[in-house]
Amino acid sequence: MPVSAQTAAEQAAGKTAVKAPATIPDLSVNWIAGGGRTTFSDYQLTEGGEARFKAYDFMKDDPAYMCIGASWTRIWLNPNVVVELRQTKEEIRMRYEWMDIERIIPLVDPLAATVKRNNVKGHPALGYSAAWYDGDTLVIDTVDVAPGYITTMDLRAGLPQSRRMHTVERLRRDGDILTIETTHVDAANYRTPVTSTIKYRKTDWEIMKYGCTPEEAAVVAPR
Amino acid sequence: MKLRTVLVAVAFGAVAAAQQVGAHHSVPVNFDQSKEATIEGVLTEIKWVNPHAHFRISVKQPDGSVLEWLVEMGATNTMKRAGFPMEKFMVGETYTIIGAPGRRDRSILLEEVVMPDGTRMTPTMRPRDPNNRNQG
Repeated sequence: MPVSAQTAAEQAAGKTAVKAPATIPDLSVNWIAGGGRTTFSDYQLTEGGEARFKAYDFMKDDPAYMCIGASWTRIWLNPNVVVELRQTKEEIRMRYEWMDIERIIPLVDPLAATVKRNNVKGHPALGYSAAWYDGDTLVIDTVDVAPGYITTMDLRAGLPQSRRMHTVERLRRDGDILTIETTHVDAANYRTPVTSTIKYRKTDWEIMKYGCTPEEAAVVAPR
Repeated sequence: MKLRTVLVAVAFGAVAAAQQVGAHHSVPVNFDQSKEATIEGVLTEIKWVNPHAHFRISVKQPDGSVLEWLVEMGATNTMKRAGFPMEKFMVGETYTIIGAPGRRDRSILLEEVVMPDGTRMTPTMRPRDPNNRNQG
């Protein structure tokens, strides 16, 4: 069910959001990874970024050992967990099964001098986010992340992120497929933006409790 | 019980499948999916937890000594959704584990388990396909 982008009162008051559509896209269902192929852009590390990438030690540096999210790309990359997305006129609410992350993102006017942002308690590398609609796309803008890693997966495990990183997620629904394009701009580590494109599909599965504890998550070797 | 570690090169598909495989620490980072290992031993500990379920198994070596192996799986939530029968696993029983050897010593990613009665199961509850080692 589409949600009205603006109330009549807001329209009368001249409060016009940038490229606000007459109706906003309905993303308010449960999603699960597996909607299509994941792709990554090429990237070019700075000298410092290259050193930080090489220094990554998968045996001890993965924030998941502490039940902590690394970056929004890393969160979206996690397969086979449900993401519950709900929209209101004031905010976007997203519950990620992975690490029981609950994200409440205020909807803002991106042209305002200052915008309200929310963080996810206990996950400093995920920063502070604000959201708005750009036509049929939900845009989530994140800054003030703690240093860490864009991803801990596959050959890109250990790609670094600095406090200067700016992350933009663009969520667009096409039928039962949700495409999440996440772009990280971090001049301290990269000469070019790093973009991941991850596809989810609509699911009837409900969120399950994750209940990660560092004591169990850090078990990676026999005694 | 005896140690049977068999390394078999897997020709195609392992890397592609690895892009989709699910566990918290990244399967290809932690396990060598170009190889296959088999161990047999007595289950000593079961942890149905997230981000990854795991067993500890005591494996008897040819000289009679016993070494502990860590058997890792994907998220317990994922295995629940697949209908994996967790209640059938009992401490003290002997199981055979087939999967990708860990990049740490004595660890293995469970891709298939042979139960004490000889039945075989995968975490996805689908037949194992060595050319598509996506355990989900």
